[in-house]
Formats: sequence, C-alpha cells, structure tokens
Amino acid sequence: MNKNPVSIIIGVVLLAVFIVLLFVFQVRQSEVAIVTTFSKPSGTTLGPGPHGRLPWPIQKVYKFDQRVQAYEGKLIESQTSDKNNLDIQLYAGWHISDPTQYFLKFGDSAPEKGEARLSEMLQSVQKAVEGKHPMSDFVSTGGTKFDEIEHQILVTLQEQLKANNYGMEIQFVGIKKLGLPEGVTTSVFDRMKSERAVLSSDYEFKGQSEADKIRAKANTDAAKRLSDAEKQANLIRIEAQKAITDTYPIFQQAPELANFLLRLDALEASAKDRTTLIFDGNTAPFDLLRGGSITNLLKK
Amino acid sequence: MERSIQKNGLVNLLTLLVAAVATFALARTGHALAATMAAAFMGIGTIVAAVSWFQMRLEDRERAEKLEFDELARSKGGSALFENKDGGNFPAQQSREQFDKWFVPAFTIIILLLQVGGAWFAWKWLQQPGTVVPIKEPMVVGSLLGLFFLGMLLLGLFSSTLARLEKHRLLRPSASYLLICAYIAALAAAGVAGVEFGVPKLDLIVARVLTVLFGLTAIETVLSLVLEIYRPRVKGKVAQPVYESRLLGVLAHPENVFTTAAHTFDYQFGFKVSETWAFQFFRRAILWLLLAQFGVLMLSTCVVFIEPGERGLLERWGKPVEGRAELAPGMHFKLPYPADKVHRFRTEQVQVFTIGSQPDPKLADVPVILWNQAHTKEDLLLVANKDQDSVDTANKATGKSTPPVSVLTVSFPVHYTISDLKAFAYNHQDSGKLLQAIATRQVVQYLASSDIEDVMTRGRQESAEKLRNDIQTAVNAVQPPLGVTVSFIGLQDIHPPVSVAPDFQKVVGARQTQQAKILAAQAEAVATNALAEAAAFKVIANAEAERERAQMNAGTRASLFTSQIPAFNAAPSVYASRAYLQAFVKATASARKYVLVATNQHDIIQFDLQDKIGKDILDVTVPSGK
Repeated sequence: MNKNPVSIIIGVVLLAVFIVLLFVFQVRQSEVAIVTTFSKPSGTTLGPGPHGRLPWPIQKVYKFDQRVQAYEGKLIESQTSDKNNLDIQLYAGWHISDPTQYFLKFGDSAPEKGEARLSEMLQSVQKAVEGKHPMSDFVSTGGTKFDEIEHQILVTLQEQLKANNYGMEIQFVGIKKLGLPEGVTTSVFDRMKSERAVLSSDYEFKGQSEADKIRAKANTDAAKRLSDAEKQANLIRIEAQKAITDTYPIFQQAPELANFLLRLDALEASAKDRTTLIFDGNTAPFDLLRGGSITNLLKK
Repeated sequence: MERSIQKNGLVNLLTLLVAAVATFALARTGHALAATMAAAFMGIGTIVAAVSWFQMRLEDRERAEKLEFDELARSKGGSALFENKDGGNFPAQQSREQFDKWFVPAFTIIILLLQVGGAWFAWKWLQQPGTVVPIKEPMVVGSLLGLFFLGMLLLGLFSSTLARLEKHRLLRPSASYLLICAYIAALAAAGVAGVEFGVPKLDLIVARVLTVLFGLTAIETVLSLVLEIYRPRVKGKVAQPVYESRLLGVLAHPENVFTTAAHTFDYQFGFKVSETWAFQFFRRAILWLLLAQFGVLMLSTCVVFIEPGERGLLERWGKPVEGRAELAPGMHFKLPYPADKVHRFRTEQVQVFTIGSQPDPKLADVPVILWNQAHTKEDLLLVANKDQDSVDTANKATGKSTPPVSVLTVSFPVHYTISDLKAFAYNHQDSGKLLQAIATRQVVQYLASSDIEDVMTRGRQESAEKLRNDIQTAVNAVQPPLGVTVSFIGLQDIHPPVSVAPDFQKVVGARQTQQAKILAAQAEAVATNALAEAAAFKVIANAEAERERAQMNAGTRASLFTSQIPAFNAAPSVYASRAYLQAFVKATASARKYVLVATNQHDIIQFDLQDKIGKDILDVTVPSGK
C-alpha cells in the first residue's frame, strides 16, 4: 500500500472537506432554509449564515429564495364583455412568505413549483376579470382602465392564495402585452389598408377638387377683369367720340368741301400696298396720255 | 506457492456492485447527469469483476486439481494411470478451458453490446431538452460521490499494487475499473460542484465527456475481440483477459505516464534524461507541487479585484459583511473560498433592453431602415383609433367587423443603471426582468390610450420624456425597491407592420399628389390672372390711345378745315383738282397700276393679276462689274 505522506495529507484534507460539506450548510442573504429530519420539517426557518446539520438521508436542507420572483404569464386569448377577442399577457411579482407552508404544499423549495400553481390561478382570474370589462377599458383614446383591472386581478389572487394557505404572497400584477388573435389581426390589417385607401382617395380627389376650384376662380377673376377693362375702354371711347362730335359744326360751314376731303382721305387710306389699279385713259391725270398737244390738255 | 486472490476479487466485485447501485440511486434522486454515466461505468466494472472473479475460481480449482494430481503421481511412483493427461482425468482444467474458450468471448460480447447501447442511449438522452433539470441537494450528491471516490481509490490502489507485485493478471481488470470509477466519481462530483458554484453546464459537459469515453471503450472492446481471433497461441504463454480494457488501465494509472514520458525522452535525446536530478526531483515532488499549487489557488481566492464600472457584494457565510458589504473598484482582501464570496454587478455601466420588436442580428447590417422591409423581429402592439367614422367606413368596405384598434410595430430601447446595489441584488430574484416587464407595461398602456396618428407623428420627444417619467414612477412604486434608475427611452422606431406599411406610404404619396395638383392649379391661376390683368390693361390703354388720337385729330382737322375753307372759296375747282391730284399721287404711289389708253375699244385685254410666288430669271438683278 502507498504510504506516501502527501497522499495521506491529501486524503485527510479531502475527507475533512467532505465531512464539513456533509455536516455544514450555508444560507445566503437572499434565502431562508428549513431542515427536515427523516422528511419531517423542523418547523423553524433558518436565516443567512452557516448552519449545522446531520448528513443525508437523516436530515435534508431546503433553501427558499426569499426575493420577489418576477413571473411572466403566457399570452392568453379571452373575450371581453362586448364580445371582442383579446390576448393578454400578465406579469406578477410574488414571493414565498411562509417557507414551511410552501414546502408542505409543494414538497419542494423550488419557485417553479409554486409558480406553476400561480400560473393556473392567474389564468383563471385573468379570464374572469377580462370578461367583466369592455374592449374600450383596454384600448381607447378616452383612457384605459389598466390600474382598475390589475387591482381586481391582484385582490382576487391575494384572497385565493390566502384562502389556500400556499405560503406564497403576490405583490403586484401588471398587463405586459395586449394582442389580437391571428384571424382578427388579419382583419385589422385589411381594415387598416382600407382606411389608408380611403385616406389616399380623399387626398387625391380633394387635391383635384381644390385645383379645379383654383382654376375656375382664376378664370372668373380674369373674365371679370377683362369685362371691367372693356367697360372702362368704352367709356374712354365715348369721351373720344364726344371730342369728335364737338368739331362737327366747323365742318358744317362747308359741307361739300368737308365731304370731298373725307372722300380723299378714304381714297388715300384704302389704296395702300399690294393694290392693283386699272385705269382707263379718261381718269385724271392719265387723260393727259390721250391729249397730245398742250392746247388740248388745257381744254380739258 | 501462489496464494489465492479470490477474496480480493470478490471484495472488488461487491464494492463495484454497491457503488454502482448507490451511484445510480443517487444520480436519479439528485438528477445528476455525470453521476448517471459514472454508475454506467461502475455497472460495466461490476460485470468485468464478476467474470474475472469466476475465472479466478476456475483457475484455483485447476491449480488444486494439479496439486492433487502431482501428489498422487509422487505417491504412486509414476503409475501409467497418472501418466495419461487427457482431459477426462482433469475436469477442473477442462472447465477452465471451456470457460476461456466460450464464456469469456461471450461475456466480452455482452459487455460490448452494453457499452455500444449505453453510449448510444446516453448520447441521445443528453441531447433531449428535458434531460437537464436542476440538481437536488447538490452538496449531498457531491459529498457522497466524493466518498465513493475515496473508497474506490483506496481499494483500487491496494488491488492494483497487489496485482502488479504478485502478477495476478485476473485481479488487474477489476482493480483498474475500481480506480477509473473512483476518478469518474470525482469528475462527477466536480460536475455537481460546478453547478452549485456557478457553472450550470459543467455537469452536462462532464456527462458528455464520459459518454464519449464509454463509446471509446466500446471501440476498444471490438478491437480486442478482433485481435484475440488472430492472436498467436504460444504454448505456456498465459493470455491477457480479452475483457480487460487497456485504455482504462492507462487512465487508471496516470503515474505510468511518467514512465512512458521518461522512455520517450530517453529515446529522443539519446541519453538517460530520466536519470537527471531535475526529472527525478519532479517525479518525487509532483504531489507536493500539486499540493502547493492548490495552496496558491486557495490563497488567490483571498484577493479580489473589482473592475471600473463594477461594484461587488461581499458575503461571509452567506451574510453581507458588516461595514464592507459593498466593494468599490480596486483591490480587496477577503477570507478564502468558500467562507467569503463576492458577487459582481455592473453598477455604473448603462444596461439596455428593448421593448417591442427586438433587433434581429441577421438584419443588423442592412444599411437602410424602411417601413416595408423587415429590420426587427416584428412584435405587434395594439394602439387606439379615435376616428370611429373611419373604422366604420373601412369595416363596411371590407365587410368585416373589427374593434376600433390598430396595430403598430415599435422598438424602444431603454437604458438603466443600478442605483441601489443591495436592493437590486437582494430584493428581487431578477430585477432586470421585472424592470423590463414594468417598462413594457407603461409602453403598452401609452399606446393603448393614444391615437395611431398621434403616436406616429406628433410629440415624440415629449412622449419619450413622459414615458421615462412614468416608468420611473412605476419602478419607484414597487415594494421592496428595485434599485434602478431609468435614464433614457428612445421612441425612434414606430411604424405600421411591414405588410401594411406600403398602404401607409401610398397615403403619403397621395398627400404629395394633392399638394402637387393644388400647386399646379395655383400656378395656372397666377398665369391666368396675370394675363387677364395685362389684357385688361391693353384694352384700356388702346381705348385711351384712341381717345387721345381722336381728340387730337378732331382738333387739328377742324383747324385745318377752317384754313381750307378760304382757299376753296377762292378757287373751288382748282383747289378741288389740286387736292384730288395730291391725294391721288399719295394714294397710288405704291400700287401696281395698269392704264388703258388704247383707242380700239373692241379688243379684249386679259390681266394676270396673280402674285408671283418665286422670282423668274428676269427678276434677278445682275451685279454690276467692277
């Protein structure tokens, strides 16, 4: 047999460590512990620090996390009082208030055991409370009633946990998520698309309507402005006509001359560019072309 | 005379059997995975020990038979009766030979099947998600595994030494299994301890390593069986038991590694390295060195360095240490593990979580974030719709009855820091998770009570600040306190779901089209008004010009006429003729004129009065020469 002193030292040290581990246990600040002797709880809870024990299977130590556990439920579909299907996910804060009772009820110190029971109770209470409230208490621009709903769930749960003496205490409940069932969500998507289509049409046709109005008003304004201008122009023309009329008595002094001069003006004005005139030999002064001698010409 | 080792073999067998049953019960009760695999090794070890013990008994019987035969042969003086050494006269020898020939290979095949099946089932079992469950009473499980380790180690060392010194080849397999099972129990205890001290996967990892080792022993058993078939049978040479594992033998005697290493060095360097003082020193002092290293390791647990941005919680036997429960960044001394433990927290560092749609690492490199392209793992939140008319109209259009709610995709990052370390660590099991739940609740409530148009457009900065205050107020209201401060919430990512986003974008397009149409009409109106203004001005100006002209002409013509009357009166025909001719010249100056002065009145003269479109050659002016 190996009698190396080092082996003996290591063996003794390891044995000591194992013995200490078998007879001593540690409780953290965030924990409490209960000890069972042959599966019977001692009844007292042990706080933070080192404690002695008899080795397994005589005594067993169960450590309980005393901190508040953050529980998150599933997204559960239920109906509101106005027959709308709504999915709600709740969260809750709870802790083990009586470790001995908790151990007796669940046979373990693991929070998962109590959490599983809490989950069932929470689902039941959640559906009951949701059924008492209309959709507008959950989603509304007029203000939701989250606080009231959460309070109702909390109070009911507290009463149930107290009545069953589960050794658990629930401290708060909150709504973590609201959702709609898949089929309803698809319908809401369709409705949102329709709303947007209505809005798009509204914008486009309102734009066309507004543009048409602007154009019509502009045309009206232009026509009115031109009419005003014509009216003003006619008034001016009347003034001009009046000035001409004022000169007529002067022309009346020799009306034959005045008419002759007017005809000459008309002739001058009408025979302008690109005019072709055909004269016969009798038209003055072309009659000179027929006369030949000066005498004949003077005769004419 | 060789002494009997049956008792040692039986002790080994019973020890392995008890250890296997106890370890299996412990593993199943405590949900320890590595301990289950340790029990499997011990089970195989029990079978091996049973086979080797049975073989020892047969060999002892054969030995006794041989002694008896020799004694009889000496007393009868070499009678022919005792010269016949056929099998019929040596039943014990025959039994042993039959056992060696048939039963040992059969047992080895059974062991092989158990090893292959065990490795395969264990590997499958460890892959299942429900396999890993929290270990119950880890300290008890670890301690008992430690005790098994000690018991099997001491017995294994004794048996192994006995087998080596007295050359008991049949004691070697069970001794090797005792030692390897002792080490495996220690490994399983380490796995359980790792789970207890913050390495939750260590037990699973150890279990997987042991499963691989189990598989390797199966491969080795196959090879041993194959090699046994082709092994040359030399008379007088005793065979090694085929069920003995060489692999486990090497692992069970790690001290042999030194011998192997020494031979390797000697061969490689060409001289006896293993005889140098350094090699001999290390060989002698290796255990002391390991012990010293363990001491240094324990001493190193007396010092802790808290990094910048961190704070530590110092606990002694689980309770915060009076006066120095919180450790600031820097070096600190403490009692060695497991008396004092330090739990670190990132108190100064900003911690972040996201409410709503979570960032998708696969889409992190997308350079553009658009509504109609997925850039997060979409999470739909309900938002209110205050325009009931719009909802009713849309419901009528789709033919479905939907509640007055819409859905939005939001992604709000929330920054927070730990403000009260003790509250953060001791009041809540997971303060970060609870904070996330509370913050999400506030966001959900904010959206559920807001109109979709308001949420997406107006007052984001104000809403972010209000939400931050609401979350902090809700956090402060939690009892016992959470010990966190919310420093920021960002509302940068709010948009309709990807499948609806194109319709929202169409609305924006329609709004732009509306503006474009109005602006075009306004531009046309400006032009129309301006042109009308100009036309009106022109009309009036023309009228005014006409008036001026008429007034002026009327005056001057009247004056001219007044001066013409005396001239006319003086010579009416001359004046008229003169006036006519002056006017005639002026009027016909630019006109094309044809004068017919012919006297023959019966001729028909035709005039082509068409205008010439192009010039003919006669119209071309010839340039004058220089």
